[in-house]
Amino acid sequence: MKHRTHVALLAVLVSGAAWGQDVSVYSTTIAQMWKSDIPGFDKTATYTPATEFLGIDANKLGTDALSLHLYGWGRTDLKDQSAIGGKTAGDLTYGYLQYAFDRANAQVKAGRFTINQGVGNEMVDGVYAYTDLLDGWNVTAFAGKPVVYKNLGNVPQASISFQRDYTFGTRLGYRIKRMGEIGLSYLQDGSTPAMDLPIPETLDFTRRQLGADLSLAPCSFIDVTGRTVFDVSRRQQAEHSTRIAESDYRVGVKIMDGLRFNGSFTDRDFLYYYTGSTLPNLFDMNERGKFKAVGGNLTWTAVANLQLVADVRRTNRDEYGTATRAGLDARYNLAAQHVLAGVGYHKVNAFNVALVDSTTPSHSLSHSEARAWVMAERGAFSASLDAIRLHYSGASTNPNLIGKSIESQLVGSVGYQANEGLKVSADLSYADTPLYKKQAMGLVRIEYRFGFAAKGGK
Amino acid sequence: MSKKLLLVAASLGLALLTACAIISPEASFARTHPEKLGAGRPTCSECHGTEAVKSTQKTFAALDHTAAFVKDHKVQASQDSATCASCHAQSFCSDCHGGKTVMTPSTKLGNRPDREMPHRAGYLTMHRIEGKIDPTGCYKCHGRANNEKCSACHK
Repeated sequence: MKHRTHVALLAVLVSGAAWGQDVSVYSTTIAQMWKSDIPGFDKTATYTPATEFLGIDANKLGTDALSLHLYGWGRTDLKDQSAIGGKTAGDLTYGYLQYAFDRANAQVKAGRFTINQGVGNEMVDGVYAYTDLLDGWNVTAFAGKPVVYKNLGNVPQASISFQRDYTFGTRLGYRIKRMGEIGLSYLQDGSTPAMDLPIPETLDFTRRQLGADLSLAPCSFIDVTGRTVFDVSRRQQAEHSTRIAESDYRVGVKIMDGLRFNGSFTDRDFLYYYTGSTLPNLFDMNERGKFKAVGGNLTWTAVANLQLVADVRRTNRDEYGTATRAGLDARYNLAAQHVLAGVGYHKVNAFNVALVDSTTPSHSLSHSEARAWVMAERGAFSASLDAIRLHYSGASTNPNLIGKSIESQLVGSVGYQANEGLKVSADLSYADTPLYKKQAMGLVRIEYRFGFAAKGGK
Repeated sequence: MSKKLLLVAASLGLALLTACAIISPEASFARTHPEKLGAGRPTCSECHGTEAVKSTQKTFAALDHTAAFVKDHKVQASQDSATCASCHAQSFCSDCHGGKTVMTPSTKLGNRPDREMPHRAGYLTMHRIEGKIDPTGCYKCHGRANNEKCSACHK
């Protein structure tokens, strides 16, 4: 879509919000300032970006069923350029009209939206529809132009845009009474694979995927969720391959009141999982091998406001080796005093991850992570403190760590809720890391909400 | 696929949708949670017990915001977006799942450590380690969108 069309469409949508009988506006303005001491970069630079996030939900546009939803951001650098691509940037994250029927959870969306259904997890400029059917069936469909982001790498942008000319997808779901839901889905992104171009190209940005997903709770104390994704493009197939890009499943078991176990299993085949990547030099579409992970966690709600979680996850990447992450987390919620707090410690044993480049046959990626945080509210005032400390085992051999084994960061924040719709907060953070030798950052945040704004995950 | 075929498919889909919405005996899920929730992660089953969520046929316990749910909710979000939408505005999802982002989620929400947002200030160091152990974790967000910063180094 052309830039002028974007602006015109946005102007129409924003003015359309004025028709809403129930309008919410939420704005977050963030002014930052930081200096960094990074080897090889300008230490005298001062970065002062100002960023505005703006969202509008306009409901009851003439009818209770019609609503408009907009969200986006814009950034400008007041001094030195803080990010790649220029001193100003912006994006319309989503902007769509929605018609929600009173029955069958049916809804239609038109505009820019994120679709998340079965295999489709896409940003689309187009239309979307969902409805429950009779006897437990439901159907989703979407079609439009995929939102293609600028790529600054060596990949030709024109080729990405040409191949990804349109996208569509559908999912058919079936709900089993008092048990859950299973579904089958299909996604196509782009109509002209690289091999079919007049002059065939090596990099294929199109995708055709088929997926099966489930979320079942056969009894009150067990639930299973997960999905399997198949690559059904005409792309080259590896020998003895099933074309399964991903299998990702989790099972939850309620052992007793307050004690719950979750187990997970993940299996991804790089050749198919990376299909359509617009960053092929990092996510190599021709990489052979698999990534597998098996994990579990035990969550114990010791008393009503204290939750303890022990977790372990063992991963294996065929080409590199195995790693194990294990640790403990605790969260404390003292609602009456408006205090939330948490501590955690994790150790990653990755001595067996062999890497790496021509000069380093292998080095340890093992490390430990300790974290503690607390949030508190007193009347209109709020404060939080968040500290993290990482200890790397392979500092002497891992060139990425530049000989430094400790990394730490501290973030403190204070806030003042001036009235129901206005909150001002300020963060100060200090980090000492192998890459950033030292980084101090200040941030002022102004959050403004107008309207009923009942949602938003506060 | 020709434009005519797409138009026919879209029209048929819209007609089907309208027909289903008219004849369905089931009312749609509530658009807003009727009661304000307290601070911290909600445990839906505390109030709703073992009953099934209306029109989804799943128990409320399956939607309890446990640590595991917060870290891995893709299937629930995919199947039950109407249920999520009764408490969360779309912008809540966009805090992490934006196609193009301007700052890390942990910077934007530095005053909300309880949300355990990814990519803290020192993550640039850590990503070299996690990226080698599990690059598929990076791919989910950065593989096809939001990779402008990645491509500055990974050309």
